[in-house]
This record gives sequence, C-alpha cells and structure tokens, in this order.
Amino acid sequence: MSHSAITDSYIYVIMALLPLAALMLVIQTSPYQALVIRGILGAVAALIYAVLGGADVALTEALVGTMLAITLYAVAVRSSLVMRLGVLSGEEVRKNLHWRPLLTYLRALLNRYHLRLELVTYDDVETLHQALKTKDVHGTCVVFGPTEAGHYPDEALSDGHGSPNPVPVDTPESPYLITLRVPRLYEIFTTELPPVMAQVQALGDDGLDDLGTGDLQPVLADASPLTEDD
Amino acid sequence: MTAVLMAMIAALLIPMVEAFQDEDIWQRMLAFASIATKTSVMILVVSVMRDDWMIGVVGVLILSVGNAALMLLAHVIRRLSEVMEEY
Amino acid sequence: MVNVLSYVCIVIGLVFWFWGTWPLLGRRSVLFKLHGLSVADTLGSMAIVVGLLLRIPHEWPLLVLGLISLAIWNTVLGYVLAYCSTQEDSYEP
Repeated sequence: MSHSAITDSYIYVIMALLPLAALMLVIQTSPYQALVIRGILGAVAALIYAVLGGADVALTEALVGTMLAITLYAVAVRSSLVMRLGVLSGEEVRKNLHWRPLLTYLRALLNRYHLRLELVTYDDVETLHQALKTKDVHGTCVVFGPTEAGHYPDEALSDGHGSPNPVPVDTPESPYLITLRVPRLYEIFTTELPPVMAQVQALGDDGLDDLGTGDLQPVLADASPLTEDD
Repeated sequence: MTAVLMAMIAALLIPMVEAFQDEDIWQRMLAFASIATKTSVMILVVSVMRDDWMIGVVGVLILSVGNAALMLLAHVIRRLSEVMEEY
Repeated sequence: MVNVLSYVCIVIGLVFWFWGTWPLLGRRSVLFKLHGLSVADTLGSMAIVVGLLLRIPHEWPLLVLGLISLAIWNTVLGYVLAYCSTQEDSYEP
C-alpha cells in the first residue's frame, strides 16, 4: 500500500461513513430494521477495507459479515421472536363476534414488543392442553363463557386443562380465557390487556398440573429473549 | 478523479439518510440495495484510480455476490408478513 | 480524446445516479422509487464502468465481468424486490 494513497482527502470522508452507519445500527429497536441497517454497515465497511488496501478483509466482510450473518440472523429472529397461541379448530372460537377485535388487539400489543402472533389450531381440548404442557405453544386461548351464539359444547367450557375445572365466570362480557406458560408474556398480558377483552391466567395457577417449580426454570430461561428487546 | 469519488460519496449519503428517516422496511431495503451497488462501483473506481488489480477483483466479486444476500433477506421478510396476516 | 470520452461517460453515470436516487427521499410508493433506482443503479453504474473501461483497457476482462453482473443481478434484484413488496401490499386490507 502506497503512502500517498493514505493521505488522500476522500479517504477521510469515506471513513466518516462507518461511524455514521454504526450509530444508525445501534439506535434501532426493531430487529428486522436492524438487520437491514447491518447490511448497510457491512457494505460501507467492505468499501472502507477495500479503499485502505485490505482486499481479503473486504471480501470476507462482504461474504461472511454481510451475506452469511444476515441470512442466519434473519432465520434466527424469525423463528424466535414469535408467540405461538393455540386455539381450537372448531367454529366456536373463530365465529365469535369478539374474536376479530381480540386478534387485532393482540397483534398490536405484541407488535410493540416486536413479537408476532402465530395461531396454531388443534382439534380438541386434550391435544391443546398437551401442546401447552409439552411447550409446543406459548399459550392457549379458549372460549369458556356464554356468548352471543350461545350453543357451546360442554367441553369448550373447560379452560383447556382437561379436568372439570370450576370456571370463573365473573365477567360475562369476556368469553375468552388465555392461558400462558411464559412468565414474561403473562406479565405483559396482565398489565396491558384489559380484562374486558380476555381473561389471562398463568399455567400452574390452579395447581392441578404436574409442572413443578423445578420445571419452571427452563421456562424462565426461555422467556429471557423476550425481556431484552424493549 | 477525486472529484468523481466525492460526488459518489454524496450520492451514497442520499440512501443512508433515507434508511435513517423512513420506518417502512421496504423503503429501507431499497436504500440497502442502492448502497450495495454504489459501494461496489466505488470500489471499482478506486481500483482503477490506483491501477490495483486485486481491489478490482474484490469489487467485482462483491458486486456479483452481494446482491444474493439482499434477495434472501427480501424473501424472509415477505414470508414474515405473510404469516402475520393469517386469518 | 479517450480520456475526455471516459470522463463524459462517468459524468453521465453520476447524473443518472443522482437523478434516480433523489426520489428515494420523497414520500412516494415503493414501486415508483424502485423504478428510478433500477434505472439509476443499472444504467448509471454501467456508464461509469464503461468510462473506467475506456481509461484502463488492459483490465477489460474484469470490467466486462462487472458490466455483465450489473446488468443481470440488478434486473433480477429489482424484480425480486417488486415481487416481495407488492405481495405484502396485496394482503393489507
């Protein structure tokens, strides 16, 4: 590398682009926006490395730092920042008049925490409960109260915990019961979801399942990525 | 030639400002595509300025391979918005 | 003579760059910006590379490879971005 090349004036201007792009990356809150900005940072960094004479470093930055890292991070973020909500596949959940506003409200609520909502349908209450216990879903949403349609089978009255459970029907205007197994999600839902729309309970509140406190530790570790992104 | 490179840096600042101010993810992807092409052409210009074959090879490689990451990211983001609009 | 021609090509490319990149700052739709951007980034960059090719003819394999990859990749990328972004728009109510 020649010494006269280093003292060229345009190098200083190009070098100033790198902290600018890095600052843009640091102040991002949404993970997908940050991925796009990371690509911009990688392109600017490859330019700087090439201008300064490090051709191999520039090639590595472009191939590994930009292409491979962004692809892997996109897949990782897409599969981790999601809340899976188990619902019953029958008509009693989706034909309800309250379902569409609740879904819209939940999406807006989770969007503020950069989470997305994915609905997983199950055929009956038993498989729904089993999916919640085997950590296949983060929570379940079932109908328990009498609603406008008013003709629900009796097994829909149980809240997804299989056994005949005395259902709290103190607020008849909220026909939904959301059962969550992740403590951070329970915290979010109890503070920000009005009880008019749905009732929220944590898994293990009623004490009828075999999920001990020793088993709750991996659940807490599972919830830790959710707490960091806000 | 230095003036040409300065003008290119000024053109590179436009999509960076756009990526900073716009919140829509597709507008940011457009800015990213613009920056990726512009930086690799700038690497080519620098390589011709210095008559350095090695930097030129790297510039062409970045130009031809760097767009692939952009397409992969675009498809992942599209799949994401499909899943979000279910039901 | 060749030097003047190469500068003309590079300046034309720069004018294309600024013309196509400037609408990025506005509040237009993604497809409008994509149109200007694909014209700027493909034709402008190709004009710049042709200008460089006139300056240093002995590096022609490298610069011709750059020209070909610019023409192919930017066209495909423009198509992919337009496909992906309009797919999202059609889902919005």
